[in-house]
Amino acid sequence: MLHIFRIHGNSLEPEYQSGDFVMVSKIPFLFHPPKPGEVIGFIHPAFGLLIKQIGSYNPQTQQLTVLGTHPDSVDSREFGEISSQTIIGKVLWHIHPHR
Amino acid sequence: MIYKLLNSIDQARPFERLSAHCDIPCGIYDPIIAQIAALTVVRMIDLMTDLDNKGGEKNKDYINSMSRYVTIKEEHAEKAKAEIRVIWGDFLKAQHLEKYPNTHALVHQIMQLGSKARQTTDREAALQLVEAINQFAEIFWGAKNIPTKRAIAPYAPNLELVYPVL
Repeated sequence: MLHIFRIHGNSLEPEYQSGDFVMVSKIPFLFHPPKPGEVIGFIHPAFGLLIKQIGSYNPQTQQLTVLGTHPDSVDSREFGEISSQTIIGKVLWHIHPHR
Repeated sequence: MIYKLLNSIDQARPFERLSAHCDIPCGIYDPIIAQIAALTVVRMIDLMTDLDNKGGEKNKDYINSMSRYVTIKEEHAEKAKAEIRVIWGDFLKAQHLEKYPNTHALVHQIMQLGSKARQTTDREAALQLVEAINQFAEIFWGAKNIPTKRAIAPYAPNLELVYPVL
């Protein structure tokens, strides 16, 4: 139900830096659907385990777009929509060295 | 403090990495390069045929011109194949392939026709290459929800090409 991951990469800079830790869980999505702006971990068939921000969510198709905050982010602008089934969870806790 | 603790644990037994994947995709894709390359193949075959039909001595000028036509035909057939491979491999995603299930077969056909264009002077095969790449262009623009039209290219060999309606 709870997973700890370490971030690798820069696509969510400046908020999330490479080397930060995040605690991720699916529990919030038992109570509400994914919302734009939420940061999630998910599995992409080509890119593996990814962390991105939700851009939009379509409850009919259960597909969502995900975005990075860095201009060079590889995200839905590059690989299209993802299925909500691929979500590992929402970031509940961001553990940062300077906080 | 929590960060330091997790960092220490990570040194001993690394946590799984969650990738904030980033690179620099230019995002610029357009099948027109492949379409023009395929037209060039037809044009080179036409120039080779014209030169051959002139008759006369097969001197060094003839060999020079014919060699140049062959070289350009080779290069452009390969360029057409390479451009299609990039769009197919990098731009088209699973949802596009679901929408256009014939794409894989069409790309394979383009690869075969491109090779034939290099190996032979078969104009009919070169025309088939142009048409197959036109069909791929329709898929590409369809994937971007941009309508297309067909129009005669305003230069020899004046064949029909698919263009986006922007």
